[in-house]
Amino acid sequence: MSATRMPPPQPAQRVGAAPKKSESPTPGDDGPSFTHQLHAWLENHRASLVDSLRRLAKQPIGSFFTCLVMAVALSLPMGLALLLDNVERLGVSWQRAAQISLFMQIDATDAQGQALREQIAAMDDVEEAEWISREQALSEFQQQSGLGEALKELPDNPLPGVIVVTPQQVDKVALEALRLRLAELPRVQQAQLDLLWVERLSAMLKLGERFVFGLTLLLVMALLLVIGNTIRLHIENRRTEIEVIKLVGGTDSYVRRPFLYMGTLYGLGAGLLAWLLLAYGLGWLNDAVVRLAGLYGSDFALAGVPIADGLSLLLGAVLLGYIGAWLAVARHLSELAPR
Amino acid sequence: MIKFEQVGKRYANGHIGLHELSFHVRRGEFLFVTGHSGAGKSTLLRLLLAMERPSSGKLLLAGQDLSHITNAQIPFLRRQIGVVFQNHQLLFDRSVFDNVALPLQILGLSKDEIGTRVRTALERVSLADKAEQSPGDLSTGQQQRVGIARAIVHRPALLLADEPTGNLDPRLAAEIMGVFEDINRLGTTVLIASHDLALIARMRHRMLTLQRGRLIGDGEAA
Repeated sequence: MSATRMPPPQPAQRVGAAPKKSESPTPGDDGPSFTHQLHAWLENHRASLVDSLRRLAKQPIGSFFTCLVMAVALSLPMGLALLLDNVERLGVSWQRAAQISLFMQIDATDAQGQALREQIAAMDDVEEAEWISREQALSEFQQQSGLGEALKELPDNPLPGVIVVTPQQVDKVALEALRLRLAELPRVQQAQLDLLWVERLSAMLKLGERFVFGLTLLLVMALLLVIGNTIRLHIENRRTEIEVIKLVGGTDSYVRRPFLYMGTLYGLGAGLLAWLLLAYGLGWLNDAVVRLAGLYGSDFALAGVPIADGLSLLLGAVLLGYIGAWLAVARHLSELAPR
Repeated sequence: MIKFEQVGKRYANGHIGLHELSFHVRRGEFLFVTGHSGAGKSTLLRLLLAMERPSSGKLLLAGQDLSHITNAQIPFLRRQIGVVFQNHQLLFDRSVFDNVALPLQILGLSKDEIGTRVRTALERVSLADKAEQSPGDLSTGQQQRVGIARAIVHRPALLLADEPTGNLDPRLAAEIMGVFEDINRLGTTVLIASHDLALIARMRHRMLTLQRGRLIGDGEAA
């Protein structure tokens, strides 16, 4: 008898025998309860998550660089989108270029001008209307033109009263329609609108949005490839393990789970890094923007990464990591049948 | 337990793995499948593990028809089977304990339950004191016993072994066979593919002899 022979079989130890009440069920038992199944499912998820974290931590530099590559790819479109948001914010002041100036007849009185301003301000497509009297206009012109002394020599104020109208929308067609309607109002000599600026602003914003959209699509594909390739390498490294797991009864979802967690963790890491890169990058750029805006007499400054945008970035990165991992595992799982 | 009814296996390249094989294995039986290399031993095991499907005939395992088993059902079938490989198929980045625990983790048992069952399985193969070691630190015979512990830890109804003593010296081979007999005495059906006729003859169990995919003998080893 060899040294490895076992003691005589005990009923409770019999292979295939029904387990004691305290034992968890096996496939041959009456069937596991819902609580047991839920606990088993949670335990499997916990184990997969811990295992994925352990494997990532085992290769900290490799994991970090994978996250960094993903973060750079994520921060490019997100950074451009944020810059575009800032340009749109800047567009509030650009919108002034879309203001319609109503030059009143030279003999129009203050009271007539105020009454007309109130009438215009009540219009649906008008955001704001401001009355600038002849005296105010002259005073501002004196201050801004540097011709103060020369203007004092004039016998009469040559400037008419003006109503400055800020429209609700910066849209070429709507603005032109509004301008024509305002030009028909009584005591209005001329209605002037600089449409070229409006068109340029609108075209630039549309171009920017389209560019960001295209870039986002390209980089999303690149990200899926990066994560897919990373997960493929993990699968290759664990080929034997996967084959053994399948042979001892592991389902496809059991095999897939740790890789999905890994993809999700890569996405989470990349999202956090991208958020950090953007926050730091916008802060760094803001100094130069503030200086430039100051030269134009503006107090414009770049807004940082809003919390909502940061969370969207994080969620998007996690989803991309998950989807990339899912695609990679789905692509390679069928090749991993035990041999 | 196992019923082969005119089971044939023909591969895409035209090679015939099994020719209309018919036999029946009762629950709790211990039998060998023997034959030269290419006789069809491995094909037979692969069919039982649903790694391949029969090309013809009917193959029943515990009442389940493996000819028509779906991919989704395969993992649940394999949970009723323990498998021992010639090359052990152990995971060297895990401890002995974790290797043996793998089938139980797949079943989703609690940590306490896993601990109890793994210790019991390791005691059965006399490796309780090696639980925390890496399989790489063990001898070939000990590695094979870890493989056996992993195959029995989830209390399978059927234990399959493919040339389990192929790499072992005669003394270790006899020792491993002793472990299989002990497991069989506990109620598990044991089917071992081996070409070690001398060892098989000493054990006096039922033996199926295959030759070029055909069953040419079915009786007690003499």
